[in-house]
Amino acid sequence: MNAAQMQSARKMKRTQTILFLIVLLALVIWSSIGAEFSLPALFAGVGESFRFIFLDFLPPDFSSLPKLLEPAMQTIYMSVVAMVIGSIVAGLLSFLAAATTSPHPYLQVFVRAATSLFRNIPVVIWTILLVAAFGLGTIVGTMSLILISIGMLTRSFAEVLEEIDMGQVEAVRAAGGSYFQVLSQAVIPQFMPGFIGWSLYNFEINVRASTIVGMVGGGGLGFILQSNLKLFQYQKASMAVLLVLVIVLVVETITNRVRERII
Amino acid sequence: MTLLQVEGLSKIYPDGTKALDNLNLEIRPGEFVVVIGPSGAGKSTLLRSLNRMIEPTNGKIRFKGEETMGIKGKKLREMRRHMGMIFQGYNLVTRVTVIKNVLHGRLGYMSPFKGALGLYSKSDTEAAKSMLQRVGLYEQMYKRADELSGGQQQRVGIARALSQKPDLILADEPIASLDPASSETIMHYLYTICKEEGIACLCNLHQVEIAKKYATRIIGIHKGSKVFDGSPEELTDDMIQLIYNQSHARVKETA
Ligand SMILES: Nc1ncnc2c1ncn2[C@@H]1O[C@H](COP(=O)(O)OP(=O)(O)OP(=O)(O)O)[C@@H](O)[C@H]1O
Ligand SMILES: [Mg+2]
Repeated sequence: MNAAQMQSARKMKRTQTILFLIVLLALVIWSSIGAEFSLPALFAGVGESFRFIFLDFLPPDFSSLPKLLEPAMQTIYMSVVAMVIGSIVAGLLSFLAAATTSPHPYLQVFVRAATSLFRNIPVVIWTILLVAAFGLGTIVGTMSLILISIGMLTRSFAEVLEEIDMGQVEAVRAAGGSYFQVLSQAVIPQFMPGFIGWSLYNFEINVRASTIVGMVGGGGLGFILQSNLKLFQYQKASMAVLLVLVIVLVVETITNRVRERII
Repeated sequence: MTLLQVEGLSKIYPDGTKALDNLNLEIRPGEFVVVIGPSGAGKSTLLRSLNRMIEPTNGKIRFKGEETMGIKGKKLREMRRHMGMIFQGYNLVTRVTVIKNVLHGRLGYMSPFKGALGLYSKSDTEAAKSMLQRVGLYEQMYKRADELSGGQQQRVGIARALSQKPDLILADEPIASLDPASSETIMHYLYTICKEEGIACLCNLHQVEIAKKYATRIIGIHKGSKVFDGSPEELTDDMIQLIYNQSHARVKETA
């Protein structure tokens, strides 16, 4: 590339940046008008929320705890099942999606596109779609968690696979190893720590997501939370929120411990 | 009788780099041939073309009397199992045990299914153990490969290649990452074991002294072409100069 080309390329980049900023600014202004957004309103809103939280939500209604235990277990079951099924399916798909292990580039592109669809449609939308098709309940909640787990894990796993040491793979191939022998003897040992680490992380994400999934009809604690809110039983709702928080923290602590052990 | 015969071997990488240019060479059973040449001369490309880890652009390769260019699948695996390979970076599967790494040398002989499950036979396991005994690593057998030192890892690399029961070992700068003492040990093991087992060896090296010490024959490569092929005695200082600095010589001529 000569100096003149470089100069024009740089100019082009600058124009692009400026254009981008203008568009961004226009979007912000347009959407804040649309949302009737204004700073004073925001501050008033904050005050309003505080009043709401402190007067209506607190203290949590601990007497409702026993009734929450079953939905809480449901939340955990959903997350575990989604993690297990999600990581198995994603484990298989990721071998097709990673440049280092894919048998064919077309297959790689196809799997990447399909799983990015799973990943990029928000879990709430999946749940709403599935609820519309199959009705309310934990099964539907679990299904939507499985979908986003597959989406997230396939990409993470594929990235792990693309970072493995190809020298080790090459050595087994040079010894006369077949495709599956190479996968099992040279790729999987390198893949295992990432596989377990990402699966555990996925479990954490599922626990959090399952609350939201529940609120749109996917069962578990989120469903109870939503019913409480609808009936203005705010103190029961805050008990449910508290329980979600406790579960999330406990799960995080446990998965962190396990992850440290492995890596 | 020749073990390996290479005729007109060329390799042009997709980016247009001409790494091998119409190269001929021959290896007889039991020979210890060392390839020398400056960085980028095409030494690794040569070795990796022989076991088809890369696809040569042109040429003929005959190994044990059979054409190997263009073979695929099962035939390719059968060809590879008779050629052990040793790498500069050892390339052991670091997260599994030493003995498992040695057993990887048996995969080419196993059914894809058994191999994939790692169901190695009792006799293979016994053979792997005695191989480790031979390179002085019997005690380290159940350690994870990455717990060993570089020199020890390379000895596992030798054991892995040996467990293939190969006719030829391709060694791509086996000592380039090692200190002088470990280098000496590795070359000693490689040389004596090949000699005792009657295995031919084609070994890339950077150090001319070591090449002269072990080689039964030396091949000099420069810019993808063979510029020397002879006994260690024939490799004079002028010749070495030519192999390593040919481009300088040419520059001088044109200046
Ligand atoms: N995958 C590749 N794509 C493009 N060019 C390559 C590739 N691999 C090697 N080359 C080029 O081919 C030439 C020969 O490389 P090769 O690795 O065979 O040399 P070498 O003699 O082994 O060098 P060294 O002593 O540094 O290991 C070099 O110019 C190198 O840059
Ligand atoms: Mg090299």
